[in-house]
Amino acid sequence: MKLLIEVSDKSNLFLDKTDGIILPIDKYSVESICTFSLDEIKDIVNKTKKEVFIKINKNIMNDDINDLKKILIELDNLNIKGIFFYDLALLQLKKELNLKMDLVWNQTHMVNNYKTCNYYYSKGVKYALLGKEITLDEIIEIIKKSDIISMVEVVSHPSVAFSKRKLLTNYYINLNKEVKKDLIVTEKMTDTNYHLIEDDNGTTFYLDIITNGTSIIKSLYEAGCKYIIFREYGIDDFEELIDDTEKYINGKCIDDSYVEKYKKLGDSTNFFFKKTIYKVKK
Amino acid sequence: MRKIELLSPAGDLERLKVTLLYGADAVYIGGQSYSLRANANNFNLDEIKEGCSFAHKLGKKVHLTLNIVFHNEDMSDVEDYIKKVVECGIDAFIVSDPFIISYIKNNFPNVEVHLSTQNSTSNYEAIKFFEKEGIDRVVLARELSKKEIKEIIDKVNCDIEVFIHGAMCTCFSGRCALSNYVTNRDANRGGCAQVCRFSFENKGEKDFTMALKDMNMAEYIPDLIEIGVRSLKVEGRMRSLYYLATVIGTYREIIDRYYDNSLDEDVMKILQERLDRVANRETSTHYFMKEANWTDQYYTGRSEVSNQDYLGQVIEYKNNLVKFYERNYFEVGDKVELFTPSGEHINFVVEELFDEDKNEVDVARHPDNIYYLKLDSDIEIPEYSMIKIVERRNGND
Repeated sequence: MKLLIEVSDKSNLFLDKTDGIILPIDKYSVESICTFSLDEIKDIVNKTKKEVFIKINKNIMNDDINDLKKILIELDNLNIKGIFFYDLALLQLKKELNLKMDLVWNQTHMVNNYKTCNYYYSKGVKYALLGKEITLDEIIEIIKKSDIISMVEVVSHPSVAFSKRKLLTNYYINLNKEVKKDLIVTEKMTDTNYHLIEDDNGTTFYLDIITNGTSIIKSLYEAGCKYIIFREYGIDDFEELIDDTEKYINGKCIDDSYVEKYKKLGDSTNFFFKKTIYKVKK
Repeated sequence: MRKIELLSPAGDLERLKVTLLYGADAVYIGGQSYSLRANANNFNLDEIKEGCSFAHKLGKKVHLTLNIVFHNEDMSDVEDYIKKVVECGIDAFIVSDPFIISYIKNNFPNVEVHLSTQNSTSNYEAIKFFEKEGIDRVVLARELSKKEIKEIIDKVNCDIEVFIHGAMCTCFSGRCALSNYVTNRDANRGGCAQVCRFSFENKGEKDFTMALKDMNMAEYIPDLIEIGVRSLKVEGRMRSLYYLATVIGTYREIIDRYYDNSLDEDVMKILQERLDRVANRETSTHYFMKEANWTDQYYTGRSEVSNQDYLGQVIEYKNNLVKFYERNYFEVGDKVELFTPSGEHINFVVEELFDEDKNEVDVARHPDNIYYLKLDSDIEIPEYSMIKIVERRNGND
């Protein structure tokens, strides 16, 4: 099982500490704290032997397509491991442009069952980043019943929604105040904070609580999960965390002191042990 | 020229019948599983069969939503369910999951499959992918401009459907799990709690809100027809009969008048006012002619207003007596309008009113009770005609 990370600061990519990295690309990545230019990506890929995945996960508009084709052709000439995609245009463009790159199905809240994973596999998609709103049991069933290589986001402040609208700009214009692109608001019923960040693509909502899945890594390892993902944003001592996690995985996840140590990340296990409901009346 | 389709929501069998009678060319319904309105009444298999039979006798169609985001457990019975629904006579499935699309097209090639707006499809390349999978129609994302919709239509072969009226999501459809996180209700399996209509605390400032105004594309129906849109979709499977009758009847008139060249500014003004009258929120055309901005939102939390225009639903008209179910209080002397599924509008003052036992009364004050009112009319007034207030006898409307 390999550890991929997504950093929140370009100054330290932790490439000596981890198995691989996810690089969100300028203009075409959303739900990411920091993005990289094509030149920066080329530079990173050329200097590392670690696995590099690129994230292209915005909803693609017609006007994006010609530019996106050029970027994909350039990326295809680099030694990258794969492209995380949301929009099915990527699957179409891979075929049209005869690209050799592998793809990661990354439709944020939709990667929730093994049959659809197998469908994408049959269409040439090698990897799937599973949804964050399914249980550990569901994740393990997908890993076991699907041919696709599953990835699971284990430690992060999860992104929970994305709007094309400039919701913070709109809010501050209505208040007749200077626009800020970053705001923490509190949902009153649950007294839970959400972090809203706006950029040129729209507004992302992050849950302002760390999902701490360090306790499920062992189960994922035993189920044959090939990749877990940590996202740096809002996590203190990230370097130490990934260092310890690599050691834990290399030691076959038997060192319980790791799990004990990282209880300090908090007790939110998101939906790993909690099923959502959808019918509220009989 | 193939006439554009008017597609109505129908949360139950009665709404299905009413919206078809009021001029919808097709309806979309949810079954008791796999639909994104898990808490609507929805249709069992017998009702689906009856609905299809009713629609087909009128030369109209029924589409079934199968557009949840499936979890493993949802997959166990879905194939059997699809087979049963096909046997009921369904004309099209509205689906978001490509595995399900592929399954239906491989096993039931004569049934249409429409890609749900849950996929937020926003470009022609994505549609080309789905065309190869056999998709017959794509319901576009609601974040697109007229120019973008036209470019898509010009570059793809399948039919294109767009939303024209009703409530809007703040986030891209399918790309929002706020409901899951705030209420544990699964947004993408039909349990959405509409968290985007909540207000959030922003310490020291006015609450943060992001609720959107509803969509109303009435003035742009000619544009949508001219750029080649195939189907116009109204939102609202859980809306009232009166709302649906009014909205569908009005869009029917807009479309028909466009094709017979009688849609002038004066008529459009009347029709727009009719739509505004049943709206419970302000409306906008959102992205169609501009980038959506701060004017398309509310900043005061939930902003719905209740509407008490709807007075009654007609059961029958016989011997100059209109028999109806009362819906809201009204009285003798009120000026009312009765409108029929075929688009007739009759304005009159209520002169005589009777209770269910035909005792004369001055007011109708008990919702769901049966009343009669006197009306001399040569116009046919069928079941499901509606009565609404125009002006109260005391001068208020």
